[in-house]
Amino acid sequence: MPILYQPPKPNKPARQKGDTHDVRMGPLTSYIVGPTGIRFETQEQGEKIILFMRQHVIFLVPTICLAILLVLAPSVLVPFMLRFMHLPIRLPVGYVIVGTLFWYVVTFGVVLIRFLRWFFNIYIVTDKRVVDIDFVHLLYKEFSEAKLSKIQDMTFKTGGFFSTIFNYGNVVIQTAGELPNFDFESVPNPEKVVQTISGLIHKSTSSTI
Amino acid sequence: MTPSAIVLLVLKICSLMGLGLYCIFAAIIVRQEQLMAHVLEEAFEPVLKLLTIIHLIASLGTFFLAIILL
Repeated sequence: MPILYQPPKPNKPARQKGDTHDVRMGPLTSYIVGPTGIRFETQEQGEKIILFMRQHVIFLVPTICLAILLVLAPSVLVPFMLRFMHLPIRLPVGYVIVGTLFWYVVTFGVVLIRFLRWFFNIYIVTDKRVVDIDFVHLLYKEFSEAKLSKIQDMTFKTGGFFSTIFNYGNVVIQTAGELPNFDFESVPNPEKVVQTISGLIHKSTSSTI
Repeated sequence: MTPSAIVLLVLKICSLMGLGLYCIFAAIIVRQEQLMAHVLEEAFEPVLKLLTIIHLIASLGTFFLAIILL
């Protein structure tokens, strides 16, 4: 039987920027709204991550440059040193092999540590609080948090050539009492971060009234 | 024992000590990465764990190679 009437298919709403449905993170994500598939240590049941930030990914460029320099250095430096330096003894081949291998292992280690420092320096805004996790160096980490109701003032600063081009800056969050102030360093879209946190504070205060 | 042999012996001891210390450092990186993985659980973490373990294995390999070759 021929179909006389077919109701129009409802159009799917277009994905908005910052939509919170199934937003997956990549390894180099430095700003994401409503991410899925991540969890932090003290996250409570039902607590939702609204914003997840790291330093802007541009801060990995010096690490990449350093890695390239360190990888190329033995092929440039060693012939130069052998030509101009006169060692009192002749080095056996074993030392050259172990030395070269060790150089590349250290290069790998340096790059890995710098990446880990970037990767685990994170700022999280949930629907209840802001969290700052700092991987200061290899043996020291810092975890600070403040409830949204404790936030008193927020400012953001951008300045300089690169921060203007890549749109990153510092967001300073002042909290009440003796709680530490938060400094989200070099995060992408600082104005959106401030807007989002302000919106959340407004929402939480209006819901409690 | 000739002076050059003494220099090589000192160099060997220093190299092995340096490589040994680096292996400890590599083990600390693995441990620290494990601790940080508890702080933040996300999809890329297994890759980082693998990289830190590869780094530890590479440093241990260099250490044992140094024992054999030097």
